[in-house]
Amino acid sequence: MMSKAKRSILYWIILAPLVVVILFPFAVMFVTAVRPRDELFVYPPTWGFSEFRWENFAEMWVKTNFGGALLNSLYVSITATSAALILSIPAAYAMSRYRFAGKGLYKNFLLMTQMMSPIVLVLGLFRLMMTLGLVNDLNSLVITYAAFNMAFTIWMLQSYFNSIPRDLEEAAWMDGASHLTSLIRIFLPLAVPAIVVTAIFTFINSWNEFVLALTMMRSSEDFTLPVQIYSQVAGRYQVEWHHVMAGTVLATVPVAILFSWLQRYLIRGMALGAVK
Amino acid sequence: MSSVTIRGVKKRYGAMPILHGIDLEIRDQEFVVLVGPSGCGKSTLLRMIAGLETVSSGDILIGERVINDVPPKSRDIAMVFQNYALYPHMSVYENMSFSLRLRRQAKEIIDRKVREAAEILNLTKFLDRSPRQLSGGQRQRVAMGRALVRDAEVFLFDEPLSNLDAKLRVVMRTEIKALHQRLKTTSVYVTHDQIEAMTMADRIVVMNAGRIEQIGTPLELYDTPANLFVADFIGSPSMNVIRGVLGAEAGRAFVELPDGARLFVPAMASGKPGQKVVFGARPEHCALAQGDAGVAVQVEVVEPTGANIQVYTKLAGAPFCAIFTERHDFRPGQTIRLDFPANKIHLFDAETGARL
Repeated sequence: MMSKAKRSILYWIILAPLVVVILFPFAVMFVTAVRPRDELFVYPPTWGFSEFRWENFAEMWVKTNFGGALLNSLYVSITATSAALILSIPAAYAMSRYRFAGKGLYKNFLLMTQMMSPIVLVLGLFRLMMTLGLVNDLNSLVITYAAFNMAFTIWMLQSYFNSIPRDLEEAAWMDGASHLTSLIRIFLPLAVPAIVVTAIFTFINSWNEFVLALTMMRSSEDFTLPVQIYSQVAGRYQVEWHHVMAGTVLATVPVAILFSWLQRYLIRGMALGAVK
Repeated sequence: MSSVTIRGVKKRYGAMPILHGIDLEIRDQEFVVLVGPSGCGKSTLLRMIAGLETVSSGDILIGERVINDVPPKSRDIAMVFQNYALYPHMSVYENMSFSLRLRRQAKEIIDRKVREAAEILNLTKFLDRSPRQLSGGQRQRVAMGRALVRDAEVFLFDEPLSNLDAKLRVVMRTEIKALHQRLKTTSVYVTHDQIEAMTMADRIVVMNAGRIEQIGTPLELYDTPANLFVADFIGSPSMNVIRGVLGAEAGRAFVELPDGARLFVPAMASGKPGQKVVFGARPEHCALAQGDAGVAVQVEVVEPTGANIQVYTKLAGAPFCAIFTERHDFRPGQTIRLDFPANKIHLFDAETGARL
């Protein structure tokens, strides 16, 4: 038997290579973001810098229209997440509670859509949005993100809904609740952890999505963050790497912190003590 | 409070029949227990009364009203579930007051009713707790409290004690019975435990494979089981049954066992010599025979329980159990002679299983 401390050290040593691979890009990103411009390409490369420049962020914000892109990203991600949830919850509930013809087929269909990369469909989607007159409109992204995420959200919600005992709803009916009342006052409060998890996943997927955003959005005022940052790199004679990296830091770190804080609320074992 | 009438009720899942036509009249204020092995349809029948399962054919009435198509929320029935089904995100108080709040009753009335019910069930100091902070027995009480505050027409219990440990089950059994004697609400109680059925019921409905085998008071079922199934199901340890052939000699009827031994029985009006029958005797109705009366058996296992002594033997090759309240000193291997008082034995037709 190893002592607990020894075991912890051993596990960390085993995990260390993975941690390095994951953290290295972040480290480069951060160090570059706070460097003065003329220290960007020193040889040999170093981790240090002569001056910690917060001003990079302010300059970047103005120069790259970061605020506008941030608002676009927030609008698209929040709306797509809400839309996906509003449509998935009833679908998942029906899949979990009712028997209907073609249920198995429908489940398989949902799974199959997950196996297709959006890039395969990008041309068709572009033509569809052309017909709908939605090219260069953020709502085209809202619709496609919601649609692409729904297979996952339905699947995820359904498996959690299955774990909520049917008896609870039946008890509510016996207590005098209609189906709708029992859904709102008994079922959904218990489903909150699952709803939060799926919301986070959908939000992150939408927040990071690049290919569709690049295809659908033609004018720079409508760019979402990934496209906006990309546009600072692609097709330029001179790339302001410290601004690009400052942009990526701002686009990723706050979201990461927010969600690592949120996930503490996920595993609360709401259904414990209900039955059994 | 109300009577419940079940008329020719059938239930099918797809092509599969679950209930084959149930007729049952549950009187006002009565405590009726549905008992039977698992899969006999007793829970399905209860859920049909509750409105949680549809009725394939036949009618269910509460009072004079046919409720086949009335949704559960409008049936005015309270139900206690096997796994309690307490709302985990609500406190005990909120759990118990949920139905009253749905009916938009005045706050003071809700408060009075919840506190009354909590008082009856010894839950007053747990009202602010959440269900997960309660023990099994307390959760069980909350589930009952939730039904109690309603003043419902009918109470339904779906195996409410099966998740409790043996000791608590006995305590809760008595509590539920005392509660019924006090409130007198018409109750239908489902269990697979025949002791629970015997101790609690005004009348017992024994079900098997989607049919009612017998309806009667606990003692009726015990003393005069209508068929082999009921005879075997009611009573613990269950009734000893031995196959044989009915015969008569010099005006006395007897059952001849496969090994040639003869058990004398009272003359049976509906049986005739040569008929294949099943002889039944409850373990507690065996007596030690004097002299060379009765049949000889060899003692195999002796189990003293304190209150009595259970003796396991074989009679004509079939396992046979006898219970004595007297403190005989039996030894394994010893041969004893058993006798059966004529008024305590049972005869059944070997083919139909019906009582003779």
